[in-house]
Amino acid sequence: MDYRKFIIDGTREIFETMLMAEVSPGQQKDVQPEEFERDLTSMVGMAGACRGMLAIHCPKPIALAITGALLGIELDDVCEDVFDAMGEMANMIAGNVKAVLCNKGLDVSLSIPSVVSGPDFQVDSLVEGSRTVVAFDTQGGEFLVELRLEETAVAA
Amino acid sequence: MGKSVLIVDDSSTMRKIVARSLRQAGFDFETILEAADGQEALSVLDESRVDIILSDINMPNMNGVEFLREKADNPAIANIPVVMITTEAGSDILREALQLGAKGSIKKPFTPDQVQKTLGEYV
Repeated sequence: MDYRKFIIDGTREIFETMLMAEVSPGQQKDVQPEEFERDLTSMVGMAGACRGMLAIHCPKPIALAITGALLGIELDDVCEDVFDAMGEMANMIAGNVKAVLCNKGLDVSLSIPSVVSGPDFQVDSLVEGSRTVVAFDTQGGEFLVELRLEETAVAA
Repeated sequence: MGKSVLIVDDSSTMRKIVARSLRQAGFDFETILEAADGQEALSVLDESRVDIILSDINMPNMNGVEFLREKADNPAIANIPVVMITTEAGSDILREALQLGAKGSIKKPFTPDQVQKTLGEYV
């Protein structure tokens, strides 16, 4: 399955619909979250016919800009609103991926979003399946969307 | 008496977006109530008159499907229409919510137009 396309389509739709903003896949290919300068990662776990996680990795200014656009407010620093908004962004992108999987007969459950932030952290997953990372360009800089997925059931 | 709506979602961001979308869609609710999960929603319904409920499915403590079951068991609130606002498009859990009496669903992300179209019938 072309997970890259699902991520791009889903992320674009969310930005256009909820933030009234355009976002496009970045020029950089093969960016790895481990080498990317991020201050915050929001993620949603997946279980069922596929297991894995969808994560958004972003630097602080992008997280503040996304939250500000969603809520129509200006923010100076990371706060509870930013955690909540970035968790919901991950939830919506994961929901989009889930819808595609459901259409292929792979029903998955989504976890409640989690958010990690700080100067130095690492996110690991025990999933052994595919790993797709898409870099997106915004006016304020770049963020990554990562999907790790392992099919545990055969599609219906 | 003005109409009231209850928005149930564990994300405070989403509750604010839904409230804003209702205003943009032209709905003039006198009261907009909020709850962070199904359990909290039942408490709000115990104390307040609500004309329509917009509920997420995927929530901690008591999810949207469990909330619909509990609501159906209480004659005082069983007939209040519920519309699901969720990322769960086309999934088994959304089908279950519709079987339990949810009137329809709005898929996240959504526009005020989509909110208007889905809720117009009940408000």
